[in-house]
Amino acid sequence: MKYSYIKPRKKSIFTSEIQLLIVFFGITIFMLFLTYFFLVFKDYRFTQDKIDMIAQRENADISIVDMEKKITYIEKQVILSESIFTKNTVLKDSIANMFDLVPQRITLSEAKLLENGLVLYGIAPNKDVYDFMLQAPLRSIFHRTYSSFYPADNGWIRFVSTNYVDKEVEVVEEEMLLEDAEMIDEDATDYEEVEYEN
Amino acid sequence: MMLKVPTLNEFYESLYLKVLVNIVIGNSKSTVYVEMLNSSGVVSSSKEVFDAPYLTPEINEYINSFTKESPYFYISMLDSSISQGAIPTCDKQDISNFYDITTSEYKCYDDKWIYYTNKSDIYEIQRAYEKIGIDYMFSPFVILANFFDDKINTYLAMFILVEDDSLSLSVFDTSKLLYAEHLDMNIETESEELLIDVGLDDDIELDEDDDNSIDLDDIDALDDIDELDDFGDIADLDSIEEINEFSETQDVEEELLEQAEEEDIEDDSTGFNEDYQRFSLIQSSVNRYYKSEKFESKFLENVYIADSVGVSSDLKKYLEEEMFLNVYIRHVELASEVCKVAKMELL
Repeated sequence: MKYSYIKPRKKSIFTSEIQLLIVFFGITIFMLFLTYFFLVFKDYRFTQDKIDMIAQRENADISIVDMEKKITYIEKQVILSESIFTKNTVLKDSIANMFDLVPQRITLSEAKLLENGLVLYGIAPNKDVYDFMLQAPLRSIFHRTYSSFYPADNGWIRFVSTNYVDKEVEVVEEEMLLEDAEMIDEDATDYEEVEYEN
Repeated sequence: MMLKVPTLNEFYESLYLKVLVNIVIGNSKSTVYVEMLNSSGVVSSSKEVFDAPYLTPEINEYINSFTKESPYFYISMLDSSISQGAIPTCDKQDISNFYDITTSEYKCYDDKWIYYTNKSDIYEIQRAYEKIGIDYMFSPFVILANFFDDKINTYLAMFILVEDDSLSLSVFDTSKLLYAEHLDMNIETESEELLIDVGLDDDIELDEDDDNSIDLDDIDALDDIDELDDFGDIADLDSIEEINEFSETQDVEEELLEQAEEEDIEDDSTGFNEDYQRFSLIQSSVNRYYKSEKFESKFLENVYIADSVGVSSDLKKYLEEEMFLNVYIRHVELASEVCKVAKMELL
């Protein structure tokens, strides 16, 4: 303001048009950034969800493997229990058969049911009765039968009859039982020896 | 070596063109001169004259077509206020001896003299041009001082800026202002009419009978000049008898320039009446200058006229023959002179 009476108006490049333009672009850029940050956030959430999902799937895989193992084990147990049940049934039948087998005149004092055999202790009036009435059916059941006698106090005879069956078919079953025994350190039921007092 | 780091605003300015719009209001027309500048100089310029001494929609549209190019536009205007002038002092205590400037806006020129104008006139113009706004308002005395910068600093002479409807008259003695007056041609119509009649009819001496202040002044002025003839013998001889016989006071260079200019410019005289009116105004003003004790009166031999309207050779003849002055007329494009001052303002 050297010569002029009045001061010039303040000049600025920010005219009303430019201001409008800046506001417009400002809002646009703001909205773009808002969208960008929203997408970044969503992407982050998605990544997190993905990681969680992967972890869940891994856990599920692990539990599937675990469950499969358990299923296998349970199936084996089922097979085992079935076999035991079958054996028990067989044993029950065997015992019932055995008692049917023993005639009235012979008295059993002890019977040992072995896995592949039967040991009978008892008293008979005489050897013939034993031979005809008991040994004959035993021979028909078992492959090998051994008998031994000694006299009792009342003039009768005491006998010990040892009978064996030669097993071939049940080998596989035995192996399985052994495997079971390894898997579970449980109290293996001693079902080999059943004492029966007559 | 220090590198000047441009401020952000300077950087913005360098990106845009500067648009200088200069408006000069005449009696019945407005002249609008527009210059577009960049850092290296003027890019383009344009001038248009409108037949209205106020802001019309056409002028507004014309100016807007340039100002919309850049936010850095400056609208300058030449002050056409009636109550303006200049005072030969910058000392605030002295100012009141010359003029009561309490209602005026004033500025000091080079710590040497003051130019002033009426505050309310500034507000009025600002209000009238509210639509486009005004950035700079310049006094015709500033334009005059800048236009005759080469002469003012070295000569004792009268300098006159002839505008459409006014005259800005000043007397400088080697850059020191002795006297200044702004003369409006529209005010003194009645008295001038009488003057013109007399001028056409007979000798000025006859005006003694008319009880008109201006006329009396004129006569006095002539008498004074007659009395002063003794001092100005050389000048009189030069101007009346033979111009070829150069006196020391004559500006030969300016005369040659003037002759060249006269050949170029057609004599589109605005009429005898106006030129006589101007002459009489100058005459009465010079008379006031010689008479008033407030001003340091030095004898005038040369007058330099900055002519923006195209005065006829009559004015020169009157001044030479009636006042025995050496007259040098230089044509001035007022709007572009305003533009030059506006550029100085921007630097």
